Amino acid sequence: MPETTLRVNGHSYTSSAPVGVSLADTLREELGLTGTKVACGEGHCGACTVLLDGVPVLSCITLLHTVGEREVTTIEGLRDHPLVHAFVEADALQCGFCTPGQIVSASALVEAVPHPTSEDIRHAMAGNLCRCGTYPRIEAAIQSVAGGDSS
Amino acid sequence: MELLRPERPDDAVAALRAGGLALAGGTEVVPLLRDGILRTDTLVHVAAAVPRGIDGTRIGAGTTLAELEVDPQVPEALREACRLAASPQLRAMGTIGGNLKQATRCWYWRLRYPCRLHGGDRCHAREGEHREHAIFANDFCASAHPSDPAAALLALGATVRTDRRELPAADVFRLPTEDDRDVVALEPDELVLELDVPAPEASVYLKAMDRQRWAFPLVGVAAARAGSDVRIALSGVAPIPWLLASPEALDEATPLPGTTYKVDVARALVRRALAALG
Amino acid sequence: MARLIRTEKEVEGRYTETWIVVEEDALEQWPAGPGAVVGRPAAKVDGYARARGEARYTADVRLPGMLHTAMLRSPHAHARVRRLDVSRAREAPGVRALLAPDDVEWLTDEPPYEGHPVVALAAETAAQAREAVRLIDVEWEPLEPLLDVEEAVRRGSLVGDVRRYERGDLDRGLAEADVVVEAEYRTQTLLHNALETHQCVCDWQGEGLDVYVSTQYVWGVRDGVAEAFELPPDRVRVVCEYMGGGFGAKNGASGYIFLAAELARRARRPVRCALNRREENVVSGNRNATIQRVVAGARADGTLTALGGEYLCALGWGGWLPSTAGPMQLLYACENVRTTEYGAKLNLPPMAAFRAPGFVEGTWSLECLLDKLAAALDLDPLELRRRNYAHADTMNSRPYSAKNLAECYRRAEPAWERRHEVRARSDERWKRGVGLASQIWYGGGGPPSYAWVRVGADGRANVVTAMQDIGTGTRTAMAQIAAEELGLPLDRVEVQVGDSARGPFASISGGSSTLPSMGPAVRAAAADAARQLVEIAAQRYDREERVLSLRGGRIVSSDGGSWPLEEVTAILQDGQILGKGARGPNPTGMRVLTFGVQVAEVAVDVETGEVRVERITAIHDVGRVINPLGARSQIEGGIVQALGHTFSEVRLDDPLTGRVLTRTLDAYKLPTIADVPEIVCDLVDEPDAHLTNLGSKGLGEPPIIPTAAAIANAIRDATGAEVTSLPLTREEILRALHEASERQRERERVGAPAA
Repeated sequence: MPETTLRVNGHSYTSSAPVGVSLADTLREELGLTGTKVACGEGHCGACTVLLDGVPVLSCITLLHTVGEREVTTIEGLRDHPLVHAFVEADALQCGFCTPGQIVSASALVEAVPHPTSEDIRHAMAGNLCRCGTYPRIEAAIQSVAGGDSS
Repeated sequence: MELLRPERPDDAVAALRAGGLALAGGTEVVPLLRDGILRTDTLVHVAAAVPRGIDGTRIGAGTTLAELEVDPQVPEALREACRLAASPQLRAMGTIGGNLKQATRCWYWRLRYPCRLHGGDRCHAREGEHREHAIFANDFCASAHPSDPAAALLALGATVRTDRRELPAADVFRLPTEDDRDVVALEPDELVLELDVPAPEASVYLKAMDRQRWAFPLVGVAAARAGSDVRIALSGVAPIPWLLASPEALDEATPLPGTTYKVDVARALVRRALAALG
Repeated sequence: MARLIRTEKEVEGRYTETWIVVEEDALEQWPAGPGAVVGRPAAKVDGYARARGEARYTADVRLPGMLHTAMLRSPHAHARVRRLDVSRAREAPGVRALLAPDDVEWLTDEPPYEGHPVVALAAETAAQAREAVRLIDVEWEPLEPLLDVEEAVRRGSLVGDVRRYERGDLDRGLAEADVVVEAEYRTQTLLHNALETHQCVCDWQGEGLDVYVSTQYVWGVRDGVAEAFELPPDRVRVVCEYMGGGFGAKNGASGYIFLAAELARRARRPVRCALNRREENVVSGNRNATIQRVVAGARADGTLTALGGEYLCALGWGGWLPSTAGPMQLLYACENVRTTEYGAKLNLPPMAAFRAPGFVEGTWSLECLLDKLAAALDLDPLELRRRNYAHADTMNSRPYSAKNLAECYRRAEPAWERRHEVRARSDERWKRGVGLASQIWYGGGGPPSYAWVRVGADGRANVVTAMQDIGTGTRTAMAQIAAEELGLPLDRVEVQVGDSARGPFASISGGSSTLPSMGPAVRAAAADAARQLVEIAAQRYDREERVLSLRGGRIVSSDGGSWPLEEVTAILQDGQILGKGARGPNPTGMRVLTFGVQVAEVAVDVETGEVRVERITAIHDVGRVINPLGARSQIEGGIVQALGHTFSEVRLDDPLTGRVLTRTLDAYKLPTIADVPEIVCDLVDEPDAHLTNLGSKGLGEPPIIPTAAAIANAIRDATGAEVTSLPLTREEILRALHEASERQRERERVGAPAA
């Protein structure tokens, strides 16, 4: 089986996983990066969100072998992102299982739109389900980092 | 399973001809492979082989819905249809070319009931749970086509260019029949390369869904006006994106007991869409 | 002193009589209002670990040599296995253990609902396990499933007995009424969908078993597993450090854990069993659907004379009958009440507790009915509720330990008054209105529950108790309580939870009982440690104990002197101050309940049936608030879940086969961030003077209870439409609008002079 190279959070890895293995499974099972959560495994919930060259994608339905040269950023790579502090301070997490995915999605949003409106946030974050219902706090957390208006 | 990464359309087509399965954003193909609804020994990752990007009216098939929803060159109906489609991550992954081949959300089909689309001899939805299902052409199969952008493309009169021909977007789709259960009229090895979406004078997309975001259309209404020509197309109402000859054509809907509400919703949205076109 | 008492124990509204040993609760409650730490907003003490993905959930537990499980589950609602050949699966690559129906009681060859396990196996990788299941040769004989709740009740297919309750005489009450309204309300089957699915890793260690598990009740799993494997309970160690949500579905041990443990025993390897999302949504429990036929009678002045209800609950193959009639029995002063509850046994997956089971469903019908009554009486809905205010327990006249529902109503007035202005903003398309609904629920917790507190030479405290934090902020609240009692800043308190081998018994995190059960135990333990610290300081600084107190991390003397706490504790070196505490008894002869009211503002698109909730004001009375920040999150979270229940969530089952259709999260639609209205939270924050050393009740469940009815009542206010079935889909809204306009036409026809 040919090896696949993968760039994650600035580091290079090689994997000999067979075609069909997801990026999420590679991150969690092979690289031990368990910050990326898998909650539905079929692209519906957003818990497994990672960035590929800055674009939020669902790692559970992204095949490892399609990642190519693109840089993967996981929650481990965003450890010191201001959003982490903002989420904690705003109480934007309860059980926390969706939170890494939320923060990954939010990081792409504030990168693309430095001052997002409430509508921007709701549009960009709608693919990250939170069963605990922390959405109002998530919106507040993103606002607090971005300094956007809530109109 | 192996994965090929052709860099030219010809190579991609050759790989498809050899029995490969095209994979672009993967949002549809990967889950369906896991469920055993799609099968292949060879995945053909076409990302490098198909054009990506927007140039005037021309849209590369590899362009993602996320790219389309924010590009001012794209007509309003298509932009809005992309904006209201699926979830942000799915829009960031899914391509417009792949979206044309989007499969129904019919739960019977997804759970592999031996339904008509799977080659079986009955439509389970007709006697079962069908609140999300079709109100037109639903006799053989009541599945509803879930693509928002496809309806917009029909209303906008888009043309699809494949590796071998150009055809109106509407001709990409066909109703399933006893002899051919597929809803896509393209050849199995045919590769969508580009779309041409003429700029209308005005266009609009309105969508009724169960959530404000991240839901497939109960009813989506795309409408476009070019001169005196007004075209209306609906999503979520038939096994394929549905061109509506006129607002009155809604009188010919054949809703199931659980989908009569869709006719009311469609009526209201069509009226609003036409009003919005001015 | 320890006291042996016989007491009523309540979890999720289910009461049991039990003997317990309780410690006297000798501590005075803190004064009302914020203290140094308690009553002040605190970010989660484990927030960074969770947000950074560093917290180890059961999903992240990886043990050396760990095997993975897959199961053959029944694809039929009711079937018999005619032939089963597992030989190919047993020999498949990677398979290390396999269990068939003859091996264990948790498998069956006559599965009574879809998803029931028939074969379980463990293999080296998850993919190998799944592949092996495909090699099982099985022939099913499908049997006729019983799926219809009314049919089941007719046939007497019930889980448990019919539950009947009557006070006064319903018929007399109806006869005395000037106005009688009746209606049939329905609620749908709902799925918990905690983002972490049910999962465990079982690892035999010598004579004992370690179970890593996503659970709301570490001790419940311990006892359940110990019983199943005939082990002394303490040979079973249950670990749940971080937990990805439960909402009632993870209240104890269940079949998948036993199967994993048995596979691990046979394979002599650790075995992981994780349900995937589809399995989770089929077999791991649900909020049962209901059909509720209710009636209310009142005098012209609004005094309720009669309340009656017949409740048909579609429980599935098992579970228990939640108190759907509870709100009707408890919420209003009404002399004549009769309720009958049936738990239909069906060939559908069993229900499980789901955040205020029964009361969510029962409040929907009762509070919609109240507004129907208010309309018939031409009375203000809030006024109708006030006129029937219960001043003592409606079921046996016990005094409430505390009740501030009147204060909730008072605080709701500004939101309620907005209805005139809100209605005025209606236009041709969007009709706007305001509705409200009351909330009643348990949430007092109870003994037994224990905690230890240790203070080291560094003057830092560690709270140790074998509870679990299911995401509600328990660690944080416990840290706050200990910090308050020890006069320490919050960052000098650690909390160790989630391991039955490392701490004393702690209550279930269910029934809104965690805080009111555990909080008082933690405070008692901290107080025990604080007392010892004062005793030592008195000797060290030659002061009388009564002049010393702990504040701001210092020993403070009333004569003006003060010393850093660590100056005293430093002399201990390796010594530690150990405090222990226990939850005291609940007040005898009193009813402990939580109360609240929510006001919803909606806009209804009368052409498309779209409803937008624009604002919800939530006012709840749960006694003293420990963490206002966490409390607000609980309220918002409950309301968000309720919005899903109200509008978009429904488990649909195929009416022919009884199979679950909406098992994936595209089809089963949880609310997203885009669905959330403005939510205004208010807590009465008045300590319950009779309840424990804290005066705090639980808040996990109350906020989810009244939301749906408040929204329905707002829709009525906006449009005159009477919705009756959850979820409020487009079709239900359009149906109700159509019916309302028919009614209106009929009125105009009757009212018009004869031609």
